[in-house]
Amino acid sequence: MEQATGVLRGSAHDDVVLESIQFNEEIRGIMAPAPAPENGSSFTALLELPPTQAVELLHSPDCAAAAREPPCHVNTNQKPYLLDSYGGNLTFPSNAALIERAAKFSVFAGENSPPEDAARLAPTSLSGAVKNEPQETDSNPCSTQGCVSDPAVETKNERTPKRKEREKKGKGSLKKSKGIADESSGDGEKLPYVHVRVRRGQATDSHSLAERARREKINARMKLLQELVPGCNKISGTALVLDEIINHVQSLQRQVEFLSMKLAAVNPRIDFSLDSLLATDGSSVMDSNLTSMATPVMWPENLADGNRQHYQQQWQFDAFHQPLWGREEANHNFMTPEHSLLSYDSSANSASLHSNQLKMEL
Amino acid sequence: MRNQSSVKQEFLRKWITGLRRYSCEKKNMSFFERKKAIKLSADLAMASTRDKTTRWSQALIANNTDNVFIASSSSSSPKKSSSSRSRNMTTLMRRSRPTRVKSAKKEMSSARCIAKRLMEKRTRKLKNLLPGGESMDEGCLVAETLDYIQSLRDQIEVMRCLVTASQLIINPS
Repeated sequence: MEQATGVLRGSAHDDVVLESIQFNEEIRGIMAPAPAPENGSSFTALLELPPTQAVELLHSPDCAAAAREPPCHVNTNQKPYLLDSYGGNLTFPSNAALIERAAKFSVFAGENSPPEDAARLAPTSLSGAVKNEPQETDSNPCSTQGCVSDPAVETKNERTPKRKEREKKGKGSLKKSKGIADESSGDGEKLPYVHVRVRRGQATDSHSLAERARREKINARMKLLQELVPGCNKISGTALVLDEIINHVQSLQRQVEFLSMKLAAVNPRIDFSLDSLLATDGSSVMDSNLTSMATPVMWPENLADGNRQHYQQQWQFDAFHQPLWGREEANHNFMTPEHSLLSYDSSANSASLHSNQLKMEL
Repeated sequence: MRNQSSVKQEFLRKWITGLRRYSCEKKNMSFFERKKAIKLSADLAMASTRDKTTRWSQALIANNTDNVFIASSSSSSPKKSSSSRSRNMTTLMRRSRPTRVKSAKKEMSSARCIAKRLMEKRTRKLKNLLPGGESMDEGCLVAETLDYIQSLRDQIEVMRCLVTASQLIINPS
Protein backbone atom coordinates (compact mmCIF):
# COMPACT_ATOMS: atom_id res chain seq x y z
CA MET A 1 0.00 0.00 0.00
CA GLU A 2 2.91 2.26 0.69
CA GLN A 3 4.04 1.53 -2.73
CA ALA A 4 0.64 2.32 -3.99
CA THR A 5 0.49 5.70 -2.35
CA GLY A 6 4.03 6.45 -3.35
CA VAL A 7 3.18 5.54 -6.84
CA LEU A 8 0.11 7.66 -6.69
CA ARG A 9 2.16 10.68 -5.88
CA GLY A 10 4.77 9.69 -8.35
CA SER A 11 2.26 9.11 -11.01
CA ALA A 12 0.70 12.48 -10.45
CA HIS A 13 4.08 13.92 -11.10
CA ASP A 14 4.56 11.63 -13.97
CA ASP A 15 1.47 12.92 -15.58
CA VAL A 16 3.49 15.85 -16.61
CA VAL A 17 6.31 13.73 -17.81
CA LEU A 18 4.16 11.31 -19.65
CA GLU A 19 1.78 13.93 -20.81
CA SER A 20 2.46 13.23 -24.39
CA ILE A 21 1.76 9.62 -23.96
CA GLN A 22 -1.83 8.72 -24.15
CA PHE A 23 -2.96 5.90 -22.08
CA ASN A 24 -6.62 6.01 -22.26
CA GLU A 25 -7.07 3.43 -24.90
CA GLU A 26 -4.56 1.30 -23.21
CA ILE A 27 -6.28 1.70 -19.95
CA ARG A 28 -9.59 0.89 -21.33
CA GLY A 29 -8.15 -1.91 -23.30
CA ILE A 30 -6.76 -3.35 -20.21
CA MET A 31 -9.80 -2.69 -18.19
CA ALA A 32 -12.40 -3.81 -20.63
CA PRO A 33 -11.67 -7.50 -20.61
CA ALA A 34 -11.56 -7.36 -16.90
CA PRO A 35 -14.78 -5.79 -15.86
CA ALA A 36 -14.90 -7.59 -12.62
CA PRO A 37 -11.97 -6.10 -10.84
CA GLU A 38 -12.62 -2.68 -12.22
CA ASN A 39 -14.24 -1.46 -9.16
CA GLY A 40 -11.48 -2.87 -7.10
CA SER A 41 -9.56 -0.49 -5.08
CA SER A 42 -6.20 -1.86 -5.83
CA PHE A 43 -4.37 -0.83 -8.93
CA THR A 44 -3.33 -4.30 -9.61
CA ALA A 45 -6.92 -5.32 -9.73
CA LEU A 46 -7.53 -2.59 -12.26
CA LEU A 47 -4.68 -3.82 -14.29
CA GLU A 48 -5.71 -7.38 -13.98
CA LEU A 49 -2.15 -8.20 -13.60
CA PRO A 50 -0.28 -10.13 -11.03
CA PRO A 51 0.96 -7.84 -8.37
CA THR A 52 4.56 -8.20 -9.30
CA GLN A 53 3.94 -7.02 -12.77
CA ALA A 54 1.92 -4.15 -11.55
CA VAL A 55 4.65 -3.12 -9.22
CA GLU A 56 7.13 -3.21 -11.97
CA LEU A 57 4.86 -1.24 -14.19
CA LEU A 58 4.33 1.26 -11.50
CA HIS A 59 7.99 1.49 -10.85
CA SER A 60 8.93 2.24 -14.36
CA PRO A 61 7.56 5.77 -14.64
CA ASP A 62 9.32 6.66 -11.47
CA CYS A 63 12.47 5.65 -13.10
CA ALA A 64 11.59 7.61 -16.14
CA ALA A 65 10.93 10.65 -14.11
CA ALA A 66 13.88 10.42 -11.82
CA ALA A 67 16.69 8.74 -13.57
CA ARG A 68 16.64 7.64 -17.11
CA GLU A 69 17.61 4.15 -16.35
CA PRO A 70 14.85 1.82 -15.50
CA PRO A 71 15.00 -0.64 -12.74
CA CYS A 72 16.03 -3.27 -15.11
CA HIS A 73 16.84 -5.51 -12.35
CA VAL A 74 13.31 -5.33 -11.25
CA ASN A 75 12.07 -6.13 -14.65
CA THR A 76 14.34 -8.98 -15.18
CA ASN A 77 12.86 -10.60 -12.20
CA GLN A 78 9.48 -10.29 -13.74
CA LYS A 79 8.16 -11.84 -16.80
CA PRO A 80 10.54 -11.76 -19.67
CA TYR A 81 8.01 -10.60 -22.13
CA LEU A 82 8.69 -7.05 -21.36
CA LEU A 83 12.28 -7.55 -22.26
CA ASP A 84 11.28 -9.29 -25.41
CA SER A 85 8.93 -6.63 -26.43
CA TYR A 86 11.55 -4.05 -25.91
CA GLY A 87 14.06 -5.97 -27.80
CA GLY A 88 16.32 -5.49 -24.89
CA ASN A 89 15.84 -1.81 -24.68
CA LEU A 90 14.48 -0.91 -21.34
CA THR A 91 15.43 2.67 -21.21
CA PHE A 92 12.56 5.05 -21.00
CA PRO A 93 13.28 7.96 -23.25
CA SER A 94 11.84 11.14 -22.02
CA ASN A 95 11.49 12.40 -25.49
CA ALA A 96 8.07 11.77 -26.85
CA ALA A 97 9.42 11.12 -30.29
CA LEU A 98 11.68 8.44 -29.04
CA ILE A 99 8.80 6.97 -27.17
CA GLU A 100 6.80 6.87 -30.31
CA ARG A 101 9.54 5.26 -32.26
CA ALA A 102 10.09 2.75 -29.56
CA ALA A 103 6.40 2.17 -29.61
CA LYS A 104 6.52 1.31 -33.24
CA PHE A 105 9.36 -1.05 -32.71
CA SER A 106 7.63 -2.52 -29.81
CA VAL A 107 4.62 -2.99 -31.97
CA PHE A 108 6.74 -4.94 -34.35
CA ALA A 109 8.20 -6.83 -31.52
CA GLY A 110 4.76 -7.35 -30.21
CA GLU A 111 3.85 -8.95 -33.47
CA ASN A 112 6.56 -11.47 -33.31
CA SER A 113 6.48 -11.92 -29.62
CA PRO A 114 5.56 -15.20 -28.11
CA PRO A 115 1.93 -16.00 -27.67
CA GLU A 116 1.85 -14.84 -24.14
CA ASP A 117 2.65 -11.41 -25.30
CA ALA A 118 0.06 -11.69 -27.94
CA ALA A 119 -2.38 -12.83 -25.39
CA ARG A 120 -1.41 -10.02 -23.17
CA LEU A 121 -1.49 -7.49 -25.94
CA ALA A 122 -4.59 -8.83 -27.48
CA PRO A 123 -6.94 -6.99 -25.21
CA THR A 124 -5.39 -3.79 -26.35
CA SER A 125 -6.43 -3.99 -29.91
CA LEU A 126 -4.25 -1.11 -30.82
CA SER A 127 -1.22 -3.14 -30.22
CA GLY A 128 -2.04 -5.27 -33.18
CA ALA A 129 -0.01 -5.18 -36.31
CA VAL A 130 -0.83 -1.61 -36.83
CA LYS A 131 1.19 1.37 -37.76
CA ASN A 132 -0.60 4.13 -36.04
CA GLU A 133 -0.02 7.79 -35.73
CA PRO A 134 2.54 8.68 -33.14
CA GLN A 135 -0.04 9.73 -30.68
CA GLU A 136 -1.89 6.56 -31.08
CA THR A 137 1.16 4.49 -30.53
CA ASP A 138 1.25 5.72 -27.06
CA SER A 139 -0.84 2.83 -26.08
CA ASN A 140 1.80 0.51 -27.32
CA PRO A 141 4.61 2.00 -25.40
CA CYS A 142 2.33 1.87 -22.50
CA SER A 143 1.65 -1.74 -22.98
CA THR A 144 5.11 -2.78 -23.79
CA GLN A 145 7.29 -0.34 -22.02
CA GLY A 146 5.18 -0.70 -19.06
CA CYS A 147 5.16 2.91 -18.20
CA VAL A 148 1.63 2.49 -17.33
CA SER A 149 1.45 4.22 -14.10
CA ASP A 150 -1.59 5.87 -15.41
CA PRO A 151 -3.57 2.77 -15.94
CA ALA A 152 -2.39 1.68 -12.63
CA VAL A 153 -3.39 4.90 -11.07
CA GLU A 154 -6.31 5.26 -13.27
CA THR A 155 -9.34 6.34 -11.53
CA LYS A 156 -12.21 8.05 -13.10
CA ASN A 157 -10.83 11.38 -11.97
CA GLU A 158 -7.54 10.77 -13.63
CA ARG A 159 -9.09 9.83 -16.85
CA THR A 160 -10.67 13.13 -17.62
CA PRO A 161 -7.51 15.24 -17.38
CA LYS A 162 -5.81 12.81 -19.68
CA ARG A 163 -8.61 13.08 -22.10
CA LYS A 164 -8.45 16.82 -21.94
CA GLU A 165 -4.74 16.77 -22.47
CA ARG A 166 -5.10 14.59 -25.43
CA GLU A 167 -7.77 16.69 -26.93
CA LYS A 168 -5.62 19.67 -26.38
CA LYS A 169 -3.21 18.12 -28.78
CA GLY A 170 -5.55 19.20 -31.44
CA LYS A 171 -6.00 16.03 -33.32
CA GLY A 172 -9.28 16.67 -34.91
CA SER A 173 -9.97 13.09 -35.60
CA LEU A 174 -9.60 12.05 -32.04
CA LYS A 175 -12.79 11.14 -30.47
CA LYS A 176 -13.39 9.92 -27.01
CA SER A 177 -12.81 6.27 -27.16
CA LYS A 178 -15.55 4.38 -25.61
CA GLY A 179 -14.11 0.96 -25.70
CA ILE A 180 -12.11 -1.44 -27.67
CA ALA A 181 -14.58 -1.34 -30.46
CA ASP A 182 -13.73 2.23 -31.09
CA GLU A 183 -10.10 1.50 -30.86
CA SER A 184 -10.29 -1.25 -33.34
CA SER A 185 -12.01 1.09 -35.69
CA GLY A 186 -9.05 3.34 -35.39
CA ASP A 187 -6.65 0.72 -36.53
CA GLY A 188 -4.91 1.21 -39.77
CA GLU A 189 -3.74 -1.16 -42.31
CA LYS A 190 -1.40 -3.99 -41.70
CA LEU A 191 2.19 -3.01 -41.84
CA PRO A 192 3.83 -4.56 -44.83
CA TYR A 193 1.45 -3.05 -47.33
CA VAL A 194 0.45 0.54 -47.38
CA HIS A 195 2.09 2.85 -44.99
CA VAL A 196 -0.78 5.05 -44.20
CA ARG A 197 -1.07 6.96 -41.06
CA VAL A 198 -4.49 6.35 -39.72
CA ARG A 199 -6.10 8.60 -37.26
CA ARG A 200 -8.23 7.29 -34.54
CA GLY A 201 -11.85 6.95 -35.30
CA GLN A 202 -11.51 7.01 -39.07
CA ALA A 203 -12.78 4.30 -41.27
CA THR A 204 -10.37 1.71 -42.38
CA ASP A 205 -11.90 0.33 -45.49
CA SER A 206 -9.81 0.36 -48.57
CA HIS A 207 -11.66 3.20 -50.19
CA SER A 208 -11.05 5.70 -47.49
CA LEU A 209 -7.51 4.55 -47.10
CA ALA A 210 -6.84 4.99 -50.75
CA GLU A 211 -8.44 8.36 -50.58
CA ARG A 212 -6.31 9.29 -47.66
CA ALA A 213 -3.18 8.20 -49.43
CA ARG A 214 -4.20 10.24 -52.40
CA ARG A 215 -4.85 13.19 -50.16
CA GLU A 216 -1.43 12.94 -48.67
CA LYS A 217 0.14 12.80 -52.08
CA ILE A 218 -1.72 15.91 -53.08
CA ASN A 219 -0.69 17.68 -49.93
CA ALA A 220 2.93 16.85 -50.51
CA ARG A 221 2.71 18.31 -53.97
CA MET A 222 0.98 21.39 -52.67
CA LYS A 223 3.89 21.90 -50.33
CA LEU A 224 6.24 21.77 -53.28
CA LEU A 225 4.13 24.32 -55.06
CA GLN A 226 4.19 26.51 -52.03
CA GLU A 227 7.93 26.51 -52.09
CA LEU A 228 8.02 27.26 -55.75
CA VAL A 229 5.68 30.18 -55.72
CA PRO A 230 7.28 33.10 -53.94
CA GLY A 231 5.49 34.28 -50.90
CA CYS A 232 3.42 31.23 -50.36
CA ASN A 233 5.32 29.88 -47.44
CA LYS A 234 3.79 32.16 -44.93
CA ILE A 235 0.26 31.61 -46.06
CA SER A 236 -1.66 28.96 -44.31
CA GLY A 237 -4.78 27.51 -45.73
CA THR A 238 -5.12 25.81 -49.03
CA ALA A 239 -7.55 28.27 -50.55
CA LEU A 240 -5.25 31.23 -50.12
CA VAL A 241 -2.30 29.28 -51.36
CA LEU A 242 -4.26 28.30 -54.41
CA ASP A 243 -5.09 31.93 -54.93
CA GLU A 244 -1.44 32.79 -54.90
CA ILE A 245 -0.64 30.01 -57.29
CA ILE A 246 -3.30 31.14 -59.67
CA ASN A 247 -2.01 34.68 -59.54
CA HIS A 248 1.47 33.48 -60.17
CA VAL A 249 0.48 31.42 -63.18
CA GLN A 250 -1.50 34.29 -64.57
CA SER A 251 1.39 36.65 -64.13
CA LEU A 252 3.75 34.25 -65.82
CA GLN A 253 1.44 33.86 -68.76
CA ARG A 254 1.12 37.61 -69.04
CA GLN A 255 4.87 37.92 -68.98
CA VAL A 256 5.14 35.53 -71.86
CA GLU A 257 2.64 37.53 -73.83
CA PHE A 258 4.41 40.71 -73.08
CA LEU A 259 7.80 39.40 -74.01
CA SER A 260 6.55 37.99 -77.24
CA MET A 261 5.05 41.37 -78.03
CA LYS A 262 8.31 43.00 -77.24
CA LEU A 263 10.13 40.64 -79.50
CA ALA A 264 7.67 41.28 -82.25
CA ALA A 265 8.27 44.97 -81.78
CA VAL A 266 11.99 44.72 -81.75
CA ASN A 267 12.33 42.58 -84.80
CA PRO A 268 10.76 43.65 -88.02
CA ARG A 269 10.82 40.18 -89.35
CA ILE A 270 10.83 36.96 -87.51
CA ASP A 271 14.21 36.19 -88.76
CA PHE A 272 16.71 35.17 -86.22
CA SER A 273 20.06 34.13 -87.41
CA LEU A 274 20.46 30.82 -85.86
CA ASP A 275 24.16 30.87 -86.47
CA SER A 276 24.80 33.84 -84.35
CA LEU A 277 22.63 32.62 -81.59
CA LEU A 278 24.22 29.25 -81.48
CA ALA A 279 27.67 30.44 -82.38
CA THR A 280 29.04 29.95 -78.98
CA ASP A 281 26.66 27.19 -78.22
CA GLY A 282 28.64 25.55 -75.56
CA SER A 283 27.16 24.72 -72.29
CA SER A 284 25.29 27.88 -71.58
CA VAL A 285 23.66 29.71 -74.35
CA MET A 286 22.18 32.13 -71.95
CA ASP A 287 25.48 33.49 -70.81
CA SER A 288 26.88 33.72 -74.25
CA ASN A 289 23.74 35.07 -75.73
CA LEU A 290 24.41 38.65 -74.96
CA THR A 291 28.01 38.51 -75.95
CA SER A 292 27.37 36.73 -79.18
CA MET A 293 24.62 39.12 -80.01
CA ALA A 294 26.94 42.00 -79.59
CA THR A 295 29.12 40.81 -82.42
CA PRO A 296 27.77 42.17 -85.64
CA VAL A 297 26.17 39.65 -87.87
CA MET A 298 24.68 39.95 -91.28
CA TRP A 299 21.12 40.84 -90.83
CA PRO A 300 21.41 43.09 -87.80
CA GLU A 301 23.85 45.29 -89.63
CA ASN A 302 21.55 45.66 -92.54
CA LEU A 303 18.76 46.33 -90.22
CA ALA A 304 20.60 48.95 -88.28
CA ASP A 305 21.65 50.75 -91.40
CA GLY A 306 18.26 50.56 -92.90
CA ASN A 307 16.72 51.89 -89.75
CA ARG A 308 18.96 54.87 -89.60
CA GLN A 309 18.29 55.69 -93.20
CA HIS A 310 14.60 55.44 -92.89
CA TYR A 311 14.56 57.38 -89.75
CA GLN A 312 16.46 60.15 -91.38
CA GLN A 313 14.67 60.05 -94.66
CA GLN A 314 11.08 59.28 -95.07
CA TRP A 315 8.15 57.24 -94.04
CA GLN A 316 7.47 55.56 -97.31
CA PHE A 317 9.46 52.65 -96.22
CA ASP A 318 8.15 49.31 -95.40
CA ALA A 319 5.79 49.51 -92.51
CA PHE A 320 7.88 47.06 -90.58
CA HIS A 321 10.79 49.36 -90.19
CA GLN A 322 8.63 52.16 -89.01
CA PRO A 323 7.31 50.36 -86.04
CA LEU A 324 10.87 49.71 -85.10
CA TRP A 325 11.59 53.33 -84.40
CA GLY A 326 8.20 54.01 -83.12
CA ARG A 327 8.65 51.13 -80.85
CA GLU A 328 12.06 52.18 -79.74
CA GLU A 329 10.55 54.79 -77.56
CA ALA A 330 7.84 52.45 -76.53
CA ASN A 331 10.49 49.99 -75.59
CA HIS A 332 11.87 52.38 -73.09
CA ASN A 333 8.45 52.58 -71.68
CA PHE A 334 8.30 48.87 -71.80
CA MET A 335 11.42 48.46 -69.77
CA THR A 336 9.97 49.88 -66.63
CA PRO A 337 6.58 48.29 -66.71
CA GLU A 338 8.07 45.03 -67.65
CA HIS A 339 8.60 43.98 -64.16
CA SER A 340 5.37 45.37 -62.95
CA LEU A 341 3.67 43.17 -65.48
CA LEU A 342 1.56 45.86 -66.96
CA SER A 343 1.49 44.03 -70.16
CA TYR A 344 -1.93 45.22 -70.97
CA ASP A 345 -0.83 48.79 -70.66
CA SER A 346 1.99 48.14 -73.01
CA SER A 347 -0.31 46.52 -75.46
CA ALA A 348 -2.40 49.65 -75.32
CA ASN A 349 0.73 51.66 -76.01
CA SER A 350 1.72 49.53 -78.91
CA ALA A 351 -1.76 49.61 -80.27
CA SER A 352 -1.79 53.38 -80.16
CA LEU A 353 1.61 53.54 -81.78
CA HIS A 354 0.45 51.18 -84.42
CA SER A 355 -2.51 53.34 -85.16
CA ASN A 356 -0.29 56.42 -85.27
CA GLN A 357 2.01 54.74 -87.69
CA LEU A 358 -0.88 53.77 -89.85
CA LYS A 359 -2.05 57.34 -89.92
CA MET A 360 1.39 58.46 -90.91
CA GLU A 361 1.51 55.99 -93.70
CA LEU A 362 -1.73 57.28 -95.02
CA MET B 1 15.15 18.62 -60.95
CA ARG B 2 15.48 19.34 -64.60
CA ASN B 3 18.73 20.35 -66.10
CA GLN B 4 17.92 23.98 -66.44
CA SER B 5 20.39 25.21 -68.98
CA SER B 6 19.96 22.30 -71.31
CA VAL B 7 16.23 22.69 -71.21
CA LYS B 8 16.59 26.34 -72.03
CA GLN B 9 18.95 25.65 -74.88
CA GLU B 10 16.63 23.10 -76.32
CA PHE B 11 13.74 25.46 -76.00
CA LEU B 12 15.64 28.22 -77.69
CA ARG B 13 16.65 26.05 -80.56
CA LYS B 14 13.18 24.75 -81.16
CA TRP B 15 11.71 28.15 -80.89
CA ILE B 16 14.03 29.66 -83.42
CA THR B 17 13.39 26.81 -85.79
CA GLY B 18 9.71 27.43 -85.49
CA LEU B 19 10.15 31.12 -86.00
CA ARG B 20 12.21 30.56 -89.07
CA ARG B 21 9.50 28.44 -90.52
CA TYR B 22 7.09 31.21 -89.85
CA SER B 23 9.28 33.79 -91.46
CA CYS B 24 9.78 31.93 -94.68
CA GLU B 25 6.14 31.21 -95.07
CA LYS B 26 4.82 34.69 -94.68
CA LYS B 27 6.87 37.65 -95.63
CA ASN B 28 4.82 40.51 -94.40
CA MET B 29 3.13 40.17 -91.15
CA SER B 30 1.49 42.76 -89.04
CA PHE B 31 2.65 43.42 -85.59
CA PHE B 32 0.03 41.36 -83.93
CA GLU B 33 0.49 38.52 -86.28
CA ARG B 34 4.12 38.52 -85.51
CA LYS B 35 3.48 38.63 -81.84
CA LYS B 36 1.10 35.77 -82.10
CA ALA B 37 3.54 33.79 -84.13
CA ILE B 38 6.31 34.42 -81.69
CA LYS B 39 4.22 33.48 -78.72
CA LEU B 40 2.84 30.42 -80.39
CA SER B 41 6.18 29.11 -81.45
CA ALA B 42 7.54 29.79 -78.00
CA ASP B 43 4.72 27.94 -76.34
CA LEU B 44 5.00 25.03 -78.68
CA ALA B 45 8.72 24.87 -78.27
CA MET B 46 8.34 24.89 -74.51
CA ALA B 47 5.73 22.20 -74.68
CA SER B 48 7.83 20.04 -76.90
CA THR B 49 10.77 20.22 -74.57
CA ARG B 50 8.70 18.36 -72.07
CA ASP B 51 8.56 15.55 -74.57
CA LYS B 52 4.96 14.85 -73.93
CA THR B 53 5.61 13.77 -70.43
CA THR B 54 3.09 16.18 -69.10
CA ARG B 55 -0.50 16.62 -69.96
CA TRP B 56 -0.43 20.33 -70.34
CA SER B 57 2.24 20.13 -72.98
CA GLN B 58 0.29 17.59 -74.92
CA ALA B 59 -2.84 19.64 -74.69
CA LEU B 60 -0.98 22.75 -75.74
CA ILE B 61 0.44 21.06 -78.78
CA ALA B 62 -2.85 19.49 -79.66
CA ASN B 63 -4.74 22.73 -79.38
CA ASN B 64 -2.31 24.81 -81.35
CA THR B 65 -0.98 22.47 -83.93
CA ASP B 66 -4.29 22.07 -85.62
CA ASN B 67 -4.67 25.76 -86.14
CA VAL B 68 -1.26 26.61 -87.31
CA PHE B 69 1.03 24.02 -88.61
CA ILE B 70 -1.36 21.92 -90.50
CA ALA B 71 -2.51 24.98 -92.33
CA SER B 72 0.97 25.98 -93.24
CA SER B 73 2.78 24.12 -95.90
CA SER B 74 5.99 23.70 -94.06
CA SER B 75 4.78 21.91 -91.03
CA SER B 76 7.43 20.19 -89.09
CA SER B 77 6.89 16.51 -89.13
CA PRO B 78 7.53 15.87 -85.48
CA LYS B 79 4.95 18.45 -84.60
CA LYS B 80 2.42 16.93 -86.91
CA SER B 81 2.89 13.46 -85.60
CA SER B 82 2.89 14.82 -82.14
CA SER B 83 -0.43 16.44 -82.78
CA SER B 84 -2.04 13.21 -83.85
CA ARG B 85 -0.39 11.40 -81.03
CA SER B 86 -1.39 14.02 -78.58
CA ARG B 87 -4.94 13.90 -79.83
CA ASN B 88 -5.00 10.19 -79.21
CA MET B 89 -3.42 10.74 -75.89
CA THR B 90 -5.97 13.28 -74.84
CA THR B 91 -8.81 11.02 -75.82
CA LEU B 92 -7.19 8.17 -74.01
CA MET B 93 -6.67 10.29 -71.00
CA ARG B 94 -10.23 11.41 -71.00
CA ARG B 95 -11.39 7.86 -71.15
CA SER B 96 -9.13 6.66 -68.45
CA ARG B 97 -9.80 9.51 -66.13
CA PRO B 98 -9.83 8.10 -62.65
CA THR B 99 -13.18 8.06 -61.00
CA ARG B 100 -13.42 10.01 -57.87
CA VAL B 101 -13.98 8.17 -54.67
CA LYS B 102 -16.91 9.69 -52.91
CA SER B 103 -16.13 10.88 -49.49
CA ALA B 104 -17.45 8.71 -46.76
CA LYS B 105 -18.49 11.66 -44.72
CA LYS B 106 -22.19 11.90 -44.70
CA GLU B 107 -22.73 15.03 -42.76
CA MET B 108 -20.91 18.21 -43.58
CA SER B 109 -21.03 21.26 -41.49
CA SER B 110 -21.78 24.52 -43.18
CA ALA B 111 -18.23 25.69 -42.67
CA ARG B 112 -17.00 22.72 -44.53
CA CYS B 113 -19.45 23.36 -47.31
CA ILE B 114 -18.17 26.86 -47.67
CA ALA B 115 -14.60 25.73 -47.67
CA LYS B 116 -15.38 23.10 -50.24
CA ARG B 117 -17.05 25.63 -52.44
CA LEU B 118 -14.07 27.94 -52.20
CA MET B 119 -11.77 25.14 -53.16
CA GLU B 120 -13.95 24.19 -56.08
CA LYS B 121 -13.94 27.72 -57.35
CA ARG B 122 -10.22 27.92 -57.22
CA THR B 123 -9.57 24.57 -58.75
CA ARG B 124 -11.86 25.49 -61.58
CA LYS B 125 -9.94 28.69 -62.09
CA LEU B 126 -6.69 26.82 -62.13
CA LYS B 127 -8.06 24.34 -64.57
CA ASN B 128 -9.01 27.12 -66.88
CA LEU B 129 -5.57 28.59 -66.68
CA LEU B 130 -3.72 25.44 -67.38
CA PRO B 131 -3.75 24.19 -70.95
CA GLY B 132 -5.71 21.02 -71.05
CA GLY B 133 -6.56 21.38 -67.44
CA GLU B 134 -10.20 20.55 -67.68
CA SER B 135 -9.69 16.86 -67.89
CA MET B 136 -7.47 16.60 -64.89
CA ASP B 137 -8.26 15.48 -61.44
CA GLU B 138 -6.95 17.27 -58.42
CA GLY B 139 -3.77 15.40 -57.84
CA CYS B 140 -2.85 15.60 -61.47
CA LEU B 141 -3.71 19.26 -61.49
CA VAL B 142 -1.29 20.10 -58.76
CA ALA B 143 1.54 18.20 -60.36
CA GLU B 144 0.85 19.70 -63.73
CA THR B 145 0.74 23.18 -62.28
CA LEU B 146 4.12 22.60 -60.75
CA ASP B 147 5.59 21.57 -64.03
CA TYR B 148 3.85 24.30 -65.93
CA ILE B 149 5.14 27.00 -63.64
CA GLN B 150 8.67 25.75 -64.05
CA SER B 151 8.35 25.61 -67.78
CA LEU B 152 6.88 29.07 -67.93
CA ARG B 153 9.73 30.43 -65.91
CA ASP B 154 12.27 28.91 -68.24
CA GLN B 155 10.42 30.20 -71.22
CA ILE B 156 10.31 33.69 -69.81
CA GLU B 157 14.00 33.68 -69.09
CA VAL B 158 14.90 32.61 -72.58
CA MET B 159 12.57 35.11 -74.14
CA ARG B 160 13.91 37.89 -72.03
CA CYS B 161 17.44 37.03 -73.01
CA LEU B 162 16.48 37.02 -76.61
CA VAL B 163 14.77 40.35 -76.31
CA THR B 164 17.70 42.01 -74.68
CA ALA B 165 20.04 40.39 -77.15
CA SER B 166 18.15 41.55 -80.17
CA GLN B 167 17.81 44.97 -78.68
CA LEU B 168 21.53 45.10 -78.27
CA ILE B 169 22.00 44.13 -81.86
CA ILE B 170 19.68 46.73 -83.18
CA ASN B 171 20.85 49.36 -80.83
CA PRO B 172 24.49 48.69 -80.19
CA SER B 173 24.95 51.51 -77.75
